[in-house]
Amino acid sequence: MFSYNFKYELKQLLRSRWIQLLSIVLLLLFGFSTFNGIQKVEKRKKDITTAQEEVKENDAMMLKLLDSVERGLEVSASPWTIPTSPMAVGNYHPRVAAMEPQSMAFMATGQADLFTHYVKPTVSGDDFALNFTEMTSPVQLLFGSFDLAFVIVYLLPLLIIAFSYNVLSSEKESGSLRLLAAQPIGIQNWVLQKLGLRFFWLAVLVLIALTVVFLVHGINPFAQAAVYFGLLGIVLTYMLFWFALAFLINLWVGSSAKNAVALLGLWVVFVLLVPSVLNQMGNTLYPMPSRTLMINEMRSLKAEVTARQDEILDNYLRDHPEYALNDTTQTRSFWHRYMASQSLIKKELSPVVDAYEEQLQKQQDWVGRFKWISPAIIAQESLNQMAGTSTQDYESFRKQVIGFAASWREHFMPFLYNNQSFSQQDYPNLPKFVYTNTKTSVQNRVLLILGLSVLVYLIGILMYKRQTKNNLLAT
Amino acid sequence: MIITNNLTKKYGEQIALDHLNLNVKEGEIYCLLGANGAGKTTTINLLLGFITPTSGSAFINQLDVQENPKATKRFLAYIPENLMLYPNLTAVENLDYFSGIAGKTLSRSDLKIVLEEAGLQSEAFENRISTFSKGMRQKVGIAIALAKEAKVLLLDEPTSGLDPKASNEFGVVLQKLREKGVATLMATHDLFRAKEVATQIGIMKDGQLKQQFAGHDITLPELEKAYLSTMDYKELVS
Repeated sequence: MFSYNFKYELKQLLRSRWIQLLSIVLLLLFGFSTFNGIQKVEKRKKDITTAQEEVKENDAMMLKLLDSVERGLEVSASPWTIPTSPMAVGNYHPRVAAMEPQSMAFMATGQADLFTHYVKPTVSGDDFALNFTEMTSPVQLLFGSFDLAFVIVYLLPLLIIAFSYNVLSSEKESGSLRLLAAQPIGIQNWVLQKLGLRFFWLAVLVLIALTVVFLVHGINPFAQAAVYFGLLGIVLTYMLFWFALAFLINLWVGSSAKNAVALLGLWVVFVLLVPSVLNQMGNTLYPMPSRTLMINEMRSLKAEVTARQDEILDNYLRDHPEYALNDTTQTRSFWHRYMASQSLIKKELSPVVDAYEEQLQKQQDWVGRFKWISPAIIAQESLNQMAGTSTQDYESFRKQVIGFAASWREHFMPFLYNNQSFSQQDYPNLPKFVYTNTKTSVQNRVLLILGLSVLVYLIGILMYKRQTKNNLLAT
Repeated sequence: MIITNNLTKKYGEQIALDHLNLNVKEGEIYCLLGANGAGKTTTINLLLGFITPTSGSAFINQLDVQENPKATKRFLAYIPENLMLYPNLTAVENLDYFSGIAGKTLSRSDLKIVLEEAGLQSEAFENRISTFSKGMRQKVGIAIALAKEAKVLLLDEPTSGLDPKASNEFGVVLQKLREKGVATLMATHDLFRAKEVATQIGIMKDGQLKQQFAGHDITLPELEKAYLSTMDYKELVS
């Protein structure tokens, strides 16, 4: 039976122009979404490059000024910006801490709209409160704009539904089912083969369309083979899940109209409702502390600390005798007091910041625990991770920037407390930020979606066995 | 070849078929006559295994239909009232597909020979089914039976809607199949065609087989009279 189904299914799909229609639709959707994604990535790269160029120009000016000062020439600059002061360097000549887009970032650019991709931490910046967590909803973080991930997660299931909702019901409605059922075949196997073949041809079209679109846009998919095959793995298993649902509905429901409504209902449930319910429940169970409250607390604490900066500095020097020993001139500038107070502010604010981050983490964990309910969440999350735009990626970037900001500040502390000037020789030793990508493997997620597909398939078989044949074949 | 033993089908309290006993032997054509709802299609559905009997049993080539649903279908061919094939495939392709899934692999030239044997004009072989008349589709259905080398043919009102010429051609093909030893059970309203082709005729009413005749023992007017009186159309009988 399989060889005949294989031979004639393709003929029928070609003659009914399904293959041609799907090819055009897939090329258009993949083409536009990839173009859209690439534009966003290019903008992100441009923003980072502009920031880096600015730093470069700024550094050139700084080195020129340092050279003039070191040669005893008069310079026309505000005294507090002259880079012999380490605090002037730390404050007015920050490095760019950038999250360079990964090679396949165009696939899922959704969160690129929400998060910052570069920061310039200064010695006076509040690195502990870096503005990375404006968006607190984990599911909202998952879904983004019209990119490849949107096409795959939202639109591809709709194409699959249109392609598969009436495989059995159309046979029943046209009358050919009775002729088929009079042959020595199992209807259940026949439906499975028909849907399997439609899955196969759609998978071939998706594979070709994706590869063509990538090559047209100048992306070599095989240069990032692991990510490309990961993408294919997610797309194919996600498609398989929807075909498994179509199998269940074809065997279970009946008329074409009912099948279409049932499958669209399931699309709403898996793609819209489950993520939204998980989000709502996450917000209800683990409500985020008010960000305004956190900012207010930071401000009042700063004001309080500023009022007792001398006392704090004394305490700080008691804790850091290495700086006190060198404090021969006993000159205590604004910076001495400010820097000493920073660690205290950070320490005292940590419960507020930690509570905020803890709740965010709990929300993420909540979604993580129940994401298997919807393959749409698993697919979107996987695509975001492969693109390097997942919540985990931004969280990792945030932590890396916080670490860098601390090392940037620490770098200038010996200069400050040893009353040491910054010179041209010190320039090459300035800390540099290097972003490290989070390691991603979608293998487990592929297996998870595969498992869900098998489960749906088994439910379909069980349902078919339980329903009477009368519904299907009696006239 | 086709045997039913007290075959009964009930839908709740309603009896669709009531203790039907039939025996259609090799090379016989049994025509089941009866008004709508008499139980003709129910009998065919039970023989095809599409529905399960309430009691009794049905056998095709000595195999119980309920116990061997797939095996019995290897021996039978079925032509419904409106034979629907795949409109985007040609006659040859439809025949190749249906005989193929039934386990009979034929070459393209063999497929054409079978279609010719079924009475389809050769110029229609490579035309899509969407352009075919009902009579032409019925011929493809017969070709499927021939290709399958079916021992049993189940026909559900196959001549309804056919013009006299097509109906006559259909009758000729049935006779050919009979000569090959095929056992045919045909449910029909067409008394004339039944008299023409049948070796046995049964009249059904309310799920029961009321009368049986040998085809050669009865004339068309006698058959018509027997049918009308069985249906209680007394005013028409006179």
